[in-house]
Amino acid sequence: MKRTPEQKLLDPVPGGTLARVAEFGIDLSLIAENMRLSPEQRVRRLQQAMNSFEKLRDEVAKSKLSDQ
Amino acid sequence: MIDIEKAITVLAGESADFVIIGGVALSIHSAAYVTYDIDFCFARERMNLERIARALQPFDPRLRHFPIDLPFIWDASTLSHGSVFTLETTIGDIDLLSEVKGLGTYIEVLEQSTVFQLFGFAVNVLSVNGLITAKTAAGREKDTPGLKHLEAIRAANSDEEP
Repeated sequence: MKRTPEQKLLDPVPGGTLARVAEFGIDLSLIAENMRLSPEQRVRRLQQAMNSFEKLRDEVAKSKLSDQ
Repeated sequence: MIDIEKAITVLAGESADFVIIGGVALSIHSAAYVTYDIDFCFARERMNLERIARALQPFDPRLRHFPIDLPFIWDASTLSHGSVFTLETTIGDIDLLSEVKGLGTYIEVLEQSTVFQLFGFAVNVLSVNGLITAKTAAGREKDTPGLKHLEAIRAANSDEEP
């Protein structure tokens, strides 16, 4: 029976492309999760991730300044 | 940091001819990939340059990493004199490219794109195969994780396994 993209990502065939990508260190479950979203939701999720990273970067910069 | 929705909707709102390329395109295709700017490939026709200039004008575009006192006029004429613009704006960093390595000019990039409905507009986004071609041609080490994401998306959507 043909597997869905999500099934392929969550249970990659050993030795296949997806297994190799997972071995490289890519979390395939995150891609599977994104596939469940609409393209617009994916953009919003990216925006949230960017906002979080930005906040973290600012905090790190602030703590470096206070250490000086 | 880029306001992705704003960047897309102001260009689409002016009916500018553009294709989303780069990290945001990866995310639209489901990659779990974080980027800090947005890259657009644009058509160089005069009318389109005017649309792009008009769309981004309210956000005070300037060349990134250039001295603040360096005179820079943002208009269609300036756009007509270059093929790559790395801009900082009040809505974040925006890169405009009229050509993409490995693919060619806007028309070739458009041929390799897919239409997505985003924020009320039909928006051209470089396809997974197009992104793989472009990132492979660029040959940059920093693109390797992005390429892996794209390979995974292509393999997952393929009719064949593995």
